Amino acid sequence: MPVINVDPDELRELTGQRLDDDELLADLFELGVEYEGTAEDGAFKLEFEPDRLDWLSVEGLARALRYNYGEARGVYVPDTNDAEWTIEVVDTPPERPYVTGAVVRGLDLSTTALASLIQLQEKLHATMGRARGKGAIGVHDLTMLKGVPATDRDDGRGKSLTYTSMDPDDERFVPLESNAEFTPREVVERHHIGTEYADLVADLPRYPAIYDDIGLFSFPPVVNGRRTEVTTDSRDLLVEMTGTDQWTIDRMLNVVCYALSARGGQIERVDVQYDPTAPGEHAGDTLDRPNLETKQKTVAHDRVESVLGRTFDRETVVDCLERSGLSVADTDDNPDSYEVSVPPYRVDVLHPIDVIDDIGRAYGFNDLGPRYPDVSTVGGRHERSRLEDATRETLVGLGFEDLLNFHLTSERELFERMRLTPENDAVGGSRPVTIREPYSAAYTVVRTWALPSIVQVLENNTHRPYPQHLAEVGMVAARDETENTGVAEHRTVAGVLADPEASYEDARARLQALVRAFDAGLETPPTAHPSFIDGRSGSVVVDGESAGVVGELHPAVLVEHDLELPVAAFEFRLDALQ
Amino acid sequence: MQLPEAQVAVLRAADAQEDRPITELAEETTLKPETATGAAFALEEAGLVAVTEEPTERLALTAEGRRYVEAGLPEIRLYEAACEADETGAAIGAVVDAAGLDGDAVDIALANFARKGYGEIERGEVRPASDADPDEDTEAAALAALAGDEEPSEGPFERLAERGLVTRREETRRLVGLTDEGVTALMSGVEAADRVDRLTPELLTSGEWRDVDFAEYNVAAEAPAVQAGRKHPLRQMADRVKNVFVGMGFEEMQGPAVDADFWIHDCLFMPQDHPARTHWDRFALSEPESIDELPPELVERVRTAHRDGVGPDGEGYRSPWDEAFAARLALRGHTTSLTARHLAGEALGDLEPPQRWFSVQKAYRNDELDATHLLEFYQIEGWVMAEELSVRDLMGTFTEFYRQFGITDLEFKPTYNPYTEPSFELFGRHPETGERIEIGNSGLFRPEMLEPLGVEADVMAWGLALERLMMLATGAEDIRDVHGTLVDLEYLRTEEVLY
Repeated sequence: MPVINVDPDELRELTGQRLDDDELLADLFELGVEYEGTAEDGAFKLEFEPDRLDWLSVEGLARALRYNYGEARGVYVPDTNDAEWTIEVVDTPPERPYVTGAVVRGLDLSTTALASLIQLQEKLHATMGRARGKGAIGVHDLTMLKGVPATDRDDGRGKSLTYTSMDPDDERFVPLESNAEFTPREVVERHHIGTEYADLVADLPRYPAIYDDIGLFSFPPVVNGRRTEVTTDSRDLLVEMTGTDQWTIDRMLNVVCYALSARGGQIERVDVQYDPTAPGEHAGDTLDRPNLETKQKTVAHDRVESVLGRTFDRETVVDCLERSGLSVADTDDNPDSYEVSVPPYRVDVLHPIDVIDDIGRAYGFNDLGPRYPDVSTVGGRHERSRLEDATRETLVGLGFEDLLNFHLTSERELFERMRLTPENDAVGGSRPVTIREPYSAAYTVVRTWALPSIVQVLENNTHRPYPQHLAEVGMVAARDETENTGVAEHRTVAGVLADPEASYEDARARLQALVRAFDAGLETPPTAHPSFIDGRSGSVVVDGESAGVVGELHPAVLVEHDLELPVAAFEFRLDALQ
Repeated sequence: MQLPEAQVAVLRAADAQEDRPITELAEETTLKPETATGAAFALEEAGLVAVTEEPTERLALTAEGRRYVEAGLPEIRLYEAACEADETGAAIGAVVDAAGLDGDAVDIALANFARKGYGEIERGEVRPASDADPDEDTEAAALAALAGDEEPSEGPFERLAERGLVTRREETRRLVGLTDEGVTALMSGVEAADRVDRLTPELLTSGEWRDVDFAEYNVAAEAPAVQAGRKHPLRQMADRVKNVFVGMGFEEMQGPAVDADFWIHDCLFMPQDHPARTHWDRFALSEPESIDELPPELVERVRTAHRDGVGPDGEGYRSPWDEAFAARLALRGHTTSLTARHLAGEALGDLEPPQRWFSVQKAYRNDELDATHLLEFYQIEGWVMAEELSVRDLMGTFTEFYRQFGITDLEFKPTYNPYTEPSFELFGRHPETGERIEIGNSGLFRPEMLEPLGVEADVMAWGLALERLMMLATGAEDIRDVHGTLVDLEYLRTEEVLY
């Protein structure tokens, strides 16, 4: 979840409230923002949920607080000036067909304001932008750009940029945080920002590029050119976004525009002109951006009351809506519902339930008060869970210490160290379920049997007093083509007796006590299993069904696990006891 | 006949003609009085002696009486001082000083001096009687006798009691007399039985246990350690959680650990490009790779909900939705996949409200191992379905659930989950450190989740890690070495039992 640093004094200033730190943090908690500590420079580290991307800046957070205090009410949409700039879209890479943009003028960026803008950009990339894959933001100093004079406008003011594609080796520019010229391919191979995002363009024959009249100034989604770098002296900015989905980048743009507008910037629209041959669903369209239209949701009064669990008068609901930055249309014709306008930075509102959540937050969920629901049902345990439990109780009664091992392990532990080869008929020898990209070589497959884990516990506890009588009832799994998931999961019962005197008979004795406790018959005809000593291992046959193995572990298995005493063991399927 | 040693001694000391006090027998046999008493009762049980009880009165010196035994009665000291001073009379003050009397003792001395004829007191002078003899004083003699071993049979005890120098105590004296059987036993021979260490089957079956004497043990000593079988502490905690759920009317769910992403994420309205669905967090499988079959109608409904949302002005996600991606298998990252299977009617057929269900089962996270993060953990999952549920019902249910574990200061922080709205993180205070920590995540399932699953009622749900609840309920601060093959048997053997 995103954590952003917010200067509490700046937040207070933008909010216009004289609150001490504790009051401020309590109000933020109610909004759903968690305090994670204070940074070295005194800034609050605040953790956000990824739904309110519009809060990811001190400006957005201040807006939310001002609404909450009733200092601001209803939907606010900043005024925009007519477009002077056009982004022409032609020959773009089909893998990244979309672009959007806006111009923001008249900013006076302090160091903290600049830091807040950079932070907002990063957090939008990390969330909605899906690590720049779905949407990537570029912010440029507008005065460093030279537009191509537009030919199709009569006022002579038109200037254009071009979003297009480029040959990775046939272009040169100076990227951010560098003094040298690179080709785009050199950027992704050598530049420290470029290598980080290399994967995003690795498979593209031509790379995305944005040009002005001077030349290449942005290589989205990897890195901007140094020429247009934003500094505290920058007053007018161009914000552009490219991505794989127009809606997503338009919403990201709205969030940035609202943040810059809160800093005193004046938004100026930009025309995005898709060439008829451009890839994607907007070929031939001209889009007027940013798109700051509100959207409407109809919220039923009944549903507000049933979700929040109490009755409300209309005034209270409207007050809560307005304090959430939403507006309610005059709906005298339908008193049972609310026509709610939602501002364009709210990417999280998909359904009327999201508006009801806003009402609850504005009212204060913790003020609603808990109530135990008047709903009666009958509880009970699942039969298999009762069987597992009864088996565990019986094992404990026989003196076993109950274990709880991981389901994940490695083929080395399951097979090699147990002298077993996979894919044979022996207990534990089934084909294991394997993990695609494991973090650790110790956890690559789901265990096919439990004895290897228990023997590992013995291995890790040779310094503890003997006897060690250990058992586990737990899940094992194996490949099984006849199952819908291709995996058969079942519960297994495994036990070991590690004891200088331990013998086959001791394991057989406990096994038969266990099986007979469930009123089942046990036979143990001789069998061969590589983990056990030949002639001292039997198949566990419960009520005529073969269900497992019992025997004395093979000396090679013991030595492999640094055990210096005999171990008698058994393992069988739990459902045999059913 | 064989009898324990002490009984043999008492039997031999007892007399058929005369009932003898046990104290006397004890002295004679050099047994401790309580041992002799025990033996006498055992012999009475066997019919060999008769024990009779006799109430007696015992006289004893008071503290004052004891003092006079040492220093002499005040009146005698006054008389002796007066004789020494002048036989014809001396001033009271001087005599009292000479006798070393002061305080109450002066009045006591003067009162008894005259009464007992030690002399007269006239006009401030003490005149000792010439014929008085302190050696003949019966009161002094009785006190001296009481101080000695022998109890005097007669004396001026009434008077001494009035003076507060002696007290009377009621006591029971036990007397032992030999019965006819006792006599017979003695004549046919009685010998002391053996001392034995162990009670053996032979002793029991032969009846010899009646004649043996058991060696005494040091019952206060620490015994050697016992290796007991016991349930794993985390299992004990899971059992407790399950009991709480059943007590609150919840039924237990079961379902696969390896499942299609469709059940783990898509049915929960998680967009396919959600960061939680990237391969770094989830345990995608390489073998097997995909589920054979998903319910086709449900797949279409879920696809539509992802694309267009539900309801007249609902919206969907601007994310691609691919059935093949949904069919990919993984170890479940949460047990909400079981909830999805139950709500869809896939597990047990359609469920009509009201319903309460829970599970306490493993979930898997492909993450680095550290003190608080394991690849596998137990997730507690619970949900309630009813015609109408509010956030207040949710808060009421959780307040009750957590109260069962001693957590009474729940706070609800509004939060975001892709599949619930409203959603709350639950916070409680750590019992040891007082820190506010997250102890669960909850919410009402979104319509975009419920409608495709065919659920028309409201459903609220919550989840938390069993390990975290254990830390909070027991005050533990580290979950390392609890779970898995690195467990220390010492921990399993010594950890406090949970109930």
